[in-house]
Amino acid sequence: MLVPTLIGVTAIVFSLMHVSGDPIRLLFGPNVSEEKVLEKRAELGLDKPIYVQYWNWLSQVVQGNLGLSIHVQDRVGRLILDRIGPTLELTILALILTVAIAIPAGIISAMRPYTIIDNASRFIALFWVSMPYFWLGIMLMMVFGLRLRILPISGRGGPLWTLEGLKSATLPILTLGLPPIALFTRLTRSAMLEVVNEEYIRTARSKGVRETTVVVHHGLRNALLPVVTLLGLRLPWLFGGAVITETVFAWPGMGRLLVNAVMERDYPVVQGIVLVIALLTVLANLVVDFAYVLIDPRIRYG
Amino acid sequence: MNQVTSSRTVRRFARNRLALVGLVFVAAVALAALLAGLIAPYDPLAMNFDALLVPPSATHPMGTDMLGRDLLSRVLYGSRYALLIGMGVVVLQMVLGGALGLIAGFVGGVVDSLIMRMVDIVWSIPGLVLALALAGALGGGIWVMIIAIAVTGWGQFTRLLRGQVLSLRELDYVTAAYAVGAPRRRILFRHVLPNTLGPVIVYTTLEMPTAILASAALSFLGVGAQPPTPEWGALIADGRGLIGFAWWVSTFPGLAIMIAALGFNFVGDGLRDVLDPRFERRI
Repeated sequence: MLVPTLIGVTAIVFSLMHVSGDPIRLLFGPNVSEEKVLEKRAELGLDKPIYVQYWNWLSQVVQGNLGLSIHVQDRVGRLILDRIGPTLELTILALILTVAIAIPAGIISAMRPYTIIDNASRFIALFWVSMPYFWLGIMLMMVFGLRLRILPISGRGGPLWTLEGLKSATLPILTLGLPPIALFTRLTRSAMLEVVNEEYIRTARSKGVRETTVVVHHGLRNALLPVVTLLGLRLPWLFGGAVITETVFAWPGMGRLLVNAVMERDYPVVQGIVLVIALLTVLANLVVDFAYVLIDPRIRYG
Repeated sequence: MNQVTSSRTVRRFARNRLALVGLVFVAAVALAALLAGLIAPYDPLAMNFDALLVPPSATHPMGTDMLGRDLLSRVLYGSRYALLIGMGVVVLQMVLGGALGLIAGFVGGVVDSLIMRMVDIVWSIPGLVLALALAGALGGGIWVMIIAIAVTGWGQFTRLLRGQVLSLRELDYVTAAYAVGAPRRRILFRHVLPNTLGPVIVYTTLEMPTAILASAALSFLGVGAQPPTPEWGALIADGRGLIGFAWWVSTFPGLAIMIAALGFNFVGDGLRDVLDPRFERRI
């Protein structure tokens, strides 16, 4: 399963360079003599058939060599390594924020199932998924950064455990973490509602098990599978969201590097970042698969 | 769909208040797009250096931008771009993804596994990231953006159509059609395809807001609509540096995006209830 996917992903990433036009012209600009182009093409192996080029590129990538940036005289791998930390920090914290609010909220609203709550939560969920999050980021910036002046509007103030770092991370995390909350609340709620009428819940209650134990151990554990599935489906979205959030807040992560590289047509950097993000997505989905087994021991992978 | 079921469908849809609100929103955006030339108070591209960054007032209900252009007029014209880009993306996705899904479901075997593997591969690269890289590689612009969003997001239609075909294929009337010797092409187009219409309509409606939001995001990032095009995402980008003293420039286009996206989401949600009760509810 994994290997063909990875081969396909690398093929797409490889072809990005070739969609953007002649790599030599990209590298050396338009005012280059024809001889020089031919010479460089042979030097970089770009005169070989496309599958040979792909193979050469792939064997470099597997060894961790993502090539050289066109604009910054540095290795692409190094550039990404410098930026991957802030991106992971942002996405993981946003995910924690979403889950930490959505799951308790979903449980609470499932304990009180009224149609008015149902309709309201449907409205709120659709309201939040209809919001452009770059706009949400700008609005948060305007209110908390410029009106109330309690939070910085851009950049990363330092590591998270410092006050400055925490303050500068607050708005980006809210921008990325708030919109999916309603969606997950709603899903948790409907998954919980499906299990609360199961017989094992009644059995647990009649045994005299404490209500919190019933809800968390017997209810939530069985309701968690669809939630984890949605989590897996939303992970790619999270990285896409990070690209925009980082751009809005000048957060020094991979997403912002990607946008800059696209603008400067620095395609080795673009390729490197798209590849790393795709690998992270594949990896995250693998983690989700393992989470299934942890949550539900009945699921086994051969 | 016969007379009786269609009128029942309409009644069930009308009972859903959220769906009706959505319909009003969509109609408002569609009217704005159709009538922008008549109702916009100013030319959306006309600069006025005597009225730079005027706050919302009676003459400029949404204020003006840094070149003195009337924001209301620009937002009204922006609805044309949102609807056309959204429809372009969704139609392309439907044709491309739908055709592959039909083939995968109908032919089966190696072709099926090959197509579905392709879906998995494209799926494992976040759509917005790939669309951004692709649109940038192709040089940006509205058409490039439409293509970039479409070729990165067709997979869901493939899954939908394939699933539909697989379940319809087993139904008695399809078996009967095979039994009487109907050609495969006729079975596909007469018996299978028309019955996928309900879910396809639902899904198309729900893809509109996704496409509108994605195109606004790409324009905001600079690889979509280029200035001075009054596209909503580009308008928000215009106001980004001005939020300290001109809040209106970014705020109103964002509200317009929300109205359009909410409208389609509400309508799609309501349509799903009436047209396709089997369809798994996403939220």
